[in-house]
Amino acid sequence: MTSSSPAPRVTPDDAFDPLALTVFGQAVTMIAEEMGTRLERAAVSPNIRERRDASCAVFDAEGRMVAQAAHIPVHLGAMPESVAVVRARAAEPGDLFLLNDPAHGGSHLPDLTMVEVIAHPHDATRVIGYVAVRAHHADVGGMSPGSMPFAATELVQEGLIIPPVRLERGGVTQSDVLDLVLANVRTPAERLGDLRAQRAACAAGRQGWQELFTRHGDAWCASAIDALFDYTERRARAHLHALDGVTGHCADQLEGDGVTNAPIAVVAGVRVHEGALLVDLTGSSGAVAGNVNAPAAVARAAALFAVRVLLDRDDVPVNEGLARVVHVHVPDDCVANARRPSAVAAGNVELSQRLTDVILQALGEGLAAAGRTAVALPAQGQGTMNNVTIGAPGWTFYETLGGGQGASGRADGPSAVHVGMSNTRNTPVESLEWAFPMRVVEYAVRHGSGGPGAFTGGDGIVRRYQPLVPVVLTLLTERRAVAPRGAFGGESGQPGRNRHGEQALPAKGRWHVPPLDIVNIETPGGGGYGVPFTDTPRTGTVSERDA
Amino acid sequence: MTSVGVDVGGTFTDIAAVHDDGTVRIAKVLTTPHDRSVGVLQSLEAAQVDAASIARFVHGTTVVTNLLLERAGTRVVLLATAGFTDLLWLRRQERASLYDLTRHHPAPLVSVGDVIAVRERVAPRWRDGEQALAAPDGLEVLQPLDDAEVARVVEAARASGANAFAIVLLHGYAFEAHEQRLAAALQAALPDATIATSHEVLPEIREYERTATTVAEAYARPAVKRYMRSLSDALAARGAPAPRVMTSAGGTLPVAEAERHAASLALSGPAGGVTAAAALCRALGIPDALTIDIGGTSADAGLVVGGEPLIERGGEVDGVPIALPRVLVETVAAGGGSLGRVDSGGALHAGPESAGAEPGPACYGRGGNRATVTDAHVALGHIEAGTWGGSVHIDASLAEATIGTLAQQLGRSVQDTARALIATADANMARALRRISVERGRDPRDLVLVAFGGGGPLHACGLADLLGMRRIYVPPFAGVLSALGLALAPDRREAMASVMLRSDLVDDDALARRRAELLHALVTPHEDAVDRAWVRTRYLGQGHELDVPFERDDDVHALVERFAALHHDLFGYALDRAVEFVSLRVVSEGAWWPLRTARRPRAQAMVFSGTDDGDAFDVRLRGPCTVRLPDATLRVADGWQARALESGGWWLEREVAA
Repeated sequence: MTSSSPAPRVTPDDAFDPLALTVFGQAVTMIAEEMGTRLERAAVSPNIRERRDASCAVFDAEGRMVAQAAHIPVHLGAMPESVAVVRARAAEPGDLFLLNDPAHGGSHLPDLTMVEVIAHPHDATRVIGYVAVRAHHADVGGMSPGSMPFAATELVQEGLIIPPVRLERGGVTQSDVLDLVLANVRTPAERLGDLRAQRAACAAGRQGWQELFTRHGDAWCASAIDALFDYTERRARAHLHALDGVTGHCADQLEGDGVTNAPIAVVAGVRVHEGALLVDLTGSSGAVAGNVNAPAAVARAAALFAVRVLLDRDDVPVNEGLARVVHVHVPDDCVANARRPSAVAAGNVELSQRLTDVILQALGEGLAAAGRTAVALPAQGQGTMNNVTIGAPGWTFYETLGGGQGASGRADGPSAVHVGMSNTRNTPVESLEWAFPMRVVEYAVRHGSGGPGAFTGGDGIVRRYQPLVPVVLTLLTERRAVAPRGAFGGESGQPGRNRHGEQALPAKGRWHVPPLDIVNIETPGGGGYGVPFTDTPRTGTVSERDA
Repeated sequence: MTSVGVDVGGTFTDIAAVHDDGTVRIAKVLTTPHDRSVGVLQSLEAAQVDAASIARFVHGTTVVTNLLLERAGTRVVLLATAGFTDLLWLRRQERASLYDLTRHHPAPLVSVGDVIAVRERVAPRWRDGEQALAAPDGLEVLQPLDDAEVARVVEAARASGANAFAIVLLHGYAFEAHEQRLAAALQAALPDATIATSHEVLPEIREYERTATTVAEAYARPAVKRYMRSLSDALAARGAPAPRVMTSAGGTLPVAEAERHAASLALSGPAGGVTAAAALCRALGIPDALTIDIGGTSADAGLVVGGEPLIERGGEVDGVPIALPRVLVETVAAGGGSLGRVDSGGALHAGPESAGAEPGPACYGRGGNRATVTDAHVALGHIEAGTWGGSVHIDASLAEATIGTLAQQLGRSVQDTARALIATADANMARALRRISVERGRDPRDLVLVAFGGGGPLHACGLADLLGMRRIYVPPFAGVLSALGLALAPDRREAMASVMLRSDLVDDDALARRRAELLHALVTPHEDAVDRAWVRTRYLGQGHELDVPFERDDDVHALVERFAALHHDLFGYALDRAVEFVSLRVVSEGAWWPLRTARRPRAQAMVFSGTDDGDAFDVRLRGPCTVRLPDATLRVADGWQARALESGGWWLEREVAA
């Protein structure tokens, strides 16, 4: 038996004990994870079920994010805005909202976000929190199947716009709204299935959150939430304080908006100040005619992603506490501050990547100037998701392709992976050839496409498609003209290439492709890091190669 | 006669010998890493098993797992369809870490440059229909594999100097001829070479997973062969029969066959425990349970459904997918050796770093100076100080000193810190248990928690409370349950075949014929063997498959109905859509070795001393208290009642709140 004197418990049973912080963190993460599980299990469309283009989050009564299960970074911390607009609409316990309007808590129209208002388990009139589920639907109407139209110039062309509306009021279904939504999409049965899955995920989150209150009581939960936020903020600030004074600036561009090929400036200034990251997008292009605009929540997600990368291998949780150390300034008229009637479909997938690039590069250069090379920020990665859509009457195939990651001062860049704000899986060649009248002629690493350097950038991917019927090909790609940059003397990666037979295709466009023609997509390589060695032969240890 | 199970782990080699009079003998000896068969023989001595009395010797081995972890297998050259030679490096295009952008996936088992492109191509046949192309109903050869190409590839293979080859051609899961031809030509040219083909190893669609699994087979086969032969020889010298080996799917194979199914051993380590838990649950009439096996460095969560371990595909060892059927287990880095630490924000964590086998927890007095979960239990008196299992000596003052250091950092008492460290480890394990059940549509509250391994009975109540579970079963022999599972597990042979047929395009006989052919090809292990089959089915256009039981008389309609019912049961809906039969799996299974555990009859009432030495029956206890088991410690928490079961082990129930 133990011989230590039985110490009286410092805190009474009903008060939160900071020693239980990790346990509480696990409990709320478990709720968000379980929402994600319910969603994936019940979803009908492969995009949610297998590619997991979705995320789930739990919020407290003040709309502060407590936990999130995000499979792809573009959803990081992007839903507090959805909860804020719902709270602004006299939300009552038992209300269930649906929205996708980029100007009111949405991102781009295919992302349908559901928000449920949670009642106290013993007092149905009191709100104790919110749960939100965002999922990318395969179609929400608009001018083209998939609702990611090429060259749209107005939001209304991209699909049905849904401001925050109630699907349930006080727990009672308002079927009118759902009927309206389903009447405006191409695949209503699949949409209904996916919406039901979102509903089930919200219910799972609500139950988990209510159980926490039932088990521990209001006071315990309130102090646990505050303690979790403070703890997260403390850890993030501890890291960032060490980088105080770091400043950097980076200007880059998007290669056209689908309407014109004119470059679109994307600029970020960054500063680490008093343990927080300040990001200023001043200098970026104003809103553009095409659809690469995005609401400010996407810029915030990019900044949060950058902070999470800075914290590196440390598993700091993502919640309100992390958001407290990130401040983003977006000018009023900005491609990253979409307002009605700007089209936004591609902004979520491509502008988000460029925002990540400029923020990370500005930070990387700022850190180097301050002599802080220990933080392993890579050179630019492929900087695009390579959205490929191939369709014919009756079917549409959509996928995104990985490419090269930038090299860092630690290692060569990984090859053939998704970088930045995406991380979805590929479609196996064998599955694709059974499901669609199409063949893949080649699927390979694009050897030698990574930028040379002391550490070499990751290689891109080669994927060659051969349709067996006449198809329409839509490409929404980037980094076809301007290569991913190397860092600190490292050379650029190879820009991507799109070809139809021998004919070069631009980064974005829509084409008819006859049967048996070959469409060749080569994705960009990542940038190199450090001055490449020119002496051959060379055998260097890692430390010798460290530029 | 006796069935013997020997489980060779990283630190200990466990043995369970089940005699046909129902008695069980167990023992634990140290693993002998230089030659593991030495430890195996020592365990037989420790359990006083006469080699001549052994009817059946089943072996659980981590030899393949370790080979993959250490990348210590043989050099493999991969033969792949031209245009698709980089599949191992392309993986599924996800990055290794969402936020650490510098991290790489573990390297594939094949070196860059060790891939030979084969000019041939097979693809689904899309035929002209009335309006457009009709859905494929089979495969067609786009580019034949000609003699000159076979000769060129064989020459390139010979020139590589390698002696192990994996042949994986696109759509080879269903079109075997090209792989067979290459394999035959290669074997003729290199008679001693190890050759694994994808249609034999994993005849299932999805090229990346099939390639990786087939490569792993070729990579591990020579080492498995060597190991099995040395063990067989050592046993034969003692007069014991040739061993059988447990596969990842929880069945057992004779060594001669295991040599040709090396990849199917990759995830066999944790399968024995869940298998034994399932057998013991069946005996008690418990159909559905969550299992938790807590060891020194990790905990394995498993699921028993309908009295059997849940079997799924899709395991992975150090970045190598092994897409063969396996007993579902989720491993978390939490165990008795998990180290307590305080992070930069002042929060307490348990693990993932572990004190491991050496130096082990501080209380072992072997040089460990950081607080572990085991030290927390010792500091709280859950684990008694003194000598355990003849080899481990526990010193409470060392435990208190190291928990005290952690307590100082936190500004709290030793007791509070110890309790919090245990609760932190519990939260980590509970998350895995919840994930494994909820992801399969099971509510933990409806399940019994089966807790075993050295640490399982200590953490059972804490885990059950976190998950809202009200019933706990601590099986007998909780500390060596994996070995017991090996001794009990049935002989089982398995085969798989690709199907790739749409329900609306297939005639009733085609599937039944495939089922019969596959079963016929299996060598039946026993006369009393039972045949079972499953057809892996999905809705057209989805990548989410279910194993649908396939009875002998089922027609296509019956299978579609059963799939829809199963889908509705698991996911809450069924679709009005054609289904696709992806593959077929057949199993021929012998009988389970009978187990009749029972406590010794006792003449008179006894005073329970706190130690369960096998005669503790009709004892009822109320928490908080501890019971010293032969090879573990049971902690009955406040609010729980425990009773010793006549069949051995303990049953715990949550008291109804007043």
